[in-house]
Amino acid sequence: MTHSATQTPVSRRSKRWTSRRVVAAIAAVGLASTAVLAGCSSGSDGASGTDDPAASDDGGNDSENLNEGDGGDGGPSCADNPDNPLCGSSDTNMQGKSIEFGYSRIGGWPPSSAPEAMWPAFQEYAKGKYGYDVSDLAFAEAPFGELFQKIAPTLASGSNEFNLMIVDSQWLGALSEPGWIVKADDVFALNPELDIEPYSSLVTNTYQVYPDGSGQRWGFPQMPDTQGVFLRKDWLEDPANQAAFKEATGKDLPTTYEEYENIMMDDFIEIVDFFNDPAAGVYGTAMMYSKEYDFFSCAYYPFAYSTGGEIWNPETNDVYGILNSEVNAAAMEKFVGLSEYQPETFATQGIGDMIDLFTQGRAFSAFQWLAVGAFMHNPEAPEGGVASPDQYLAIPLPKFEAPDGEANIIGAMGGQPWVINSFNDDDQMRVAVDFLKWWYLPETQDVFILENGGLPWSKEGAANPAYADIPYLKPFLYMLGEGRSQDFWHLPEYSEMLAVQQEAFNGYATGTVSSAAEALDYSAAKQQEILFNAGRTTVPPPDGTAERTLQ
Amino acid sequence: MSSSSAPASVASRMEDVIPAPVPPRAKSKKTWWSWGLLVPVLVFFILMNVVPTIWMLGLSFYNYTLTSAGDPRFIGMDNYNQLASAGPLWLSLGRTFIFMVLAVAIQTVLGAVVGYLFWKSNKVPGRRLALTLLFTPMILTPLSSGLFWRLMLDPVFGVINYFGELIGLDKIDFTTDATLAFPAVLVVDSWMWIPFMALMTLAALGSVPKAELEAAQVDNLSFWQRLIHVIIPAGKFIIILGILLRTIDVFKTMDLVYLMTNGGPGDRTELIAVALYRLAFKSFNLGYSSALAVLLLFIAIALTSIYLFVLNLRSRREAENA
Repeated sequence: MTHSATQTPVSRRSKRWTSRRVVAAIAAVGLASTAVLAGCSSGSDGASGTDDPAASDDGGNDSENLNEGDGGDGGPSCADNPDNPLCGSSDTNMQGKSIEFGYSRIGGWPPSSAPEAMWPAFQEYAKGKYGYDVSDLAFAEAPFGELFQKIAPTLASGSNEFNLMIVDSQWLGALSEPGWIVKADDVFALNPELDIEPYSSLVTNTYQVYPDGSGQRWGFPQMPDTQGVFLRKDWLEDPANQAAFKEATGKDLPTTYEEYENIMMDDFIEIVDFFNDPAAGVYGTAMMYSKEYDFFSCAYYPFAYSTGGEIWNPETNDVYGILNSEVNAAAMEKFVGLSEYQPETFATQGIGDMIDLFTQGRAFSAFQWLAVGAFMHNPEAPEGGVASPDQYLAIPLPKFEAPDGEANIIGAMGGQPWVINSFNDDDQMRVAVDFLKWWYLPETQDVFILENGGLPWSKEGAANPAYADIPYLKPFLYMLGEGRSQDFWHLPEYSEMLAVQQEAFNGYATGTVSSAAEALDYSAAKQQEILFNAGRTTVPPPDGTAERTLQ
Repeated sequence: MSSSSAPASVASRMEDVIPAPVPPRAKSKKTWWSWGLLVPVLVFFILMNVVPTIWMLGLSFYNYTLTSAGDPRFIGMDNYNQLASAGPLWLSLGRTFIFMVLAVAIQTVLGAVVGYLFWKSNKVPGRRLALTLLFTPMILTPLSSGLFWRLMLDPVFGVINYFGELIGLDKIDFTTDATLAFPAVLVVDSWMWIPFMALMTLAALGSVPKAELEAAQVDNLSFWQRLIHVIIPAGKFIIILGILLRTIDVFKTMDLVYLMTNGGPGDRTELIAVALYRLAFKSFNLGYSSALAVLLLFIAIALTSIYLFVLNLRSRREAENA
């Protein structure tokens, strides 16, 4: 017998009254919490930035000292005010101190782990030059798609758990607008030696500037990256393959970098087709179509950019009518059409799959980020795999015919900047600046690039003959040339916008979305809605966008 | 008759039967002890459940995105209005209901069959070991289950396709095929939770009075008659409890789907919990995602209420008859 069966009508009524009182109490507390939130919204705490980062001189920095030495505004320099934390340590102000320090990094991305491996050298440097001890480097890591989730809530709570952060370039807006990171311009103004001349404007526009075109810099380049293709050089140089290709196509099989630097996509596909042999478990190529993070988008963008497509208007923040163009639809059809030369799992392929397929000898070529070049061979690869860098040739992305008829390539930018946590205390801020000064020393960059898979991004670094033997440096620098690559949105809404299009684009690749045009139209409408709701544009999305689902 | 006037032996027997009245001080001590035990649980419950829920409720009336510079802005019912017209979310919700109905139905039926087989095999050697093994999928984390099923279903190196090829079948890409991805997730969820329903069935069968079963046997009732007239009436409330728990749990399915298909291909396996996760922890749209969470909370409460209503039907009927 249950409890209710024994209750008298009076006790039931009494219970109802109790329930009502409970509901009333919950409602009252709900209203109270609403009022508390309202209270929060009426004031601005230390972590709140301004709507327009351009209006913020200190980038929401909560350390009062930081503003005192803003050399960029004509304030005192580090010589006048050596205790300004953004100057880094002086000869005296950190002597004998012991500092705890931590950073965040992208899991499974080796260039992001290099600072930890190199940290003992910095500990020595800090002790020798400034006289302080810095702890072993604490770190938190997560894959590309999850790291932002890890650091954003800690920053929103004003935490200095991560004193320095390696972040993706797309996150600059989301980190700078709420005032969570220090404005790099403020650091450059006080430490001109950190303001290093980049190889091209792509470095500045990708890893440093937000809002786009404003010239305001927030990031410090950590690991630059562009796209390219890795080919099986040993297969290309095999006389049997050369003869068979000649017989099949009547053409010579290109074998050198110079021949491939300007190869057109259709000619390249002919070679891919030649090596494609699914029955033998060998595929012509491998590309990224995964729904994960920005994998599909970044692999697709070169097809669109290079044939005259655009994805948005960065000046007006409009997407609809731009992304959903015929040019972009044709580019997506071409991109997805290449899945015929790839494994059945093509729709889930990401960076790691490219490495595995290529190094295990299951793909003749892989469209890949050049920054993972150090991992495109595996000494323990099975027979037929890529055990040594001598077995592959790294080339820039093949070219497309632009609307003006010229051969053209515009790839997507990869790579990450460093950013400094605004909530660091003064000593941590000094260590962060000291670290960056050490990080950009030529000898430190040598260790990063030659021993830890890094790549140069400065004019000086790119010209360094010590790096000339890196087998993927040439295509990397080619793609880092002016106008040969471009990054996409840095807005705080990037994550929402990316999720929409990744779902739609991947849906087209897997056949759940009827056409490339539909995938693009859906994405454009939803992204326009996101930007309109966020107040970034005055142009509303088309009618019915909210109700619209993927078809 | 007062106890003082009763014979000593009767009085002593009365003392055995009627408990001595508790002195007020002892009663008060007992009450304090009870409260002492209860308070930590209550404090934990209020801090970890009630306060966050109320906070979420409050947040659902705000326009608040963690990564935008603006402070939370009170917008009344706007988030709810926006929810009402959010096509993809309603599609996810509909998909979740379909998933829920299919998963619970499959798990209940197959769980009942497995449970019945175990019940009838109580003299088979190795039954205990088999039971332990049966429950293994249930105690694994959905995260690890999702991961190793994804690997097993992989068309290139997955063991399922390997055996399929051995018997001449073509390779099947279960997790990225537009038609097969949803059933693949459904099968894995069922693999994990059929043992739970088998366990509930065993408990239900164990609750059937032996006398009634023996009487049914004496009356020579067929299997179906015994099932309908004896077993189900006695065990149905435990089964309903199992269905209730599974319904609520399936409604919240997120980790398994996220690991196996990431909601794809396209949005084919995007259940509402995955959509909520994306809104809250990928987009950091906290106001809007709170509104969705509140909506889901009400749906979960409604589902629970329906089942509790059914569960209490018998008690109410008995009370009314009395």
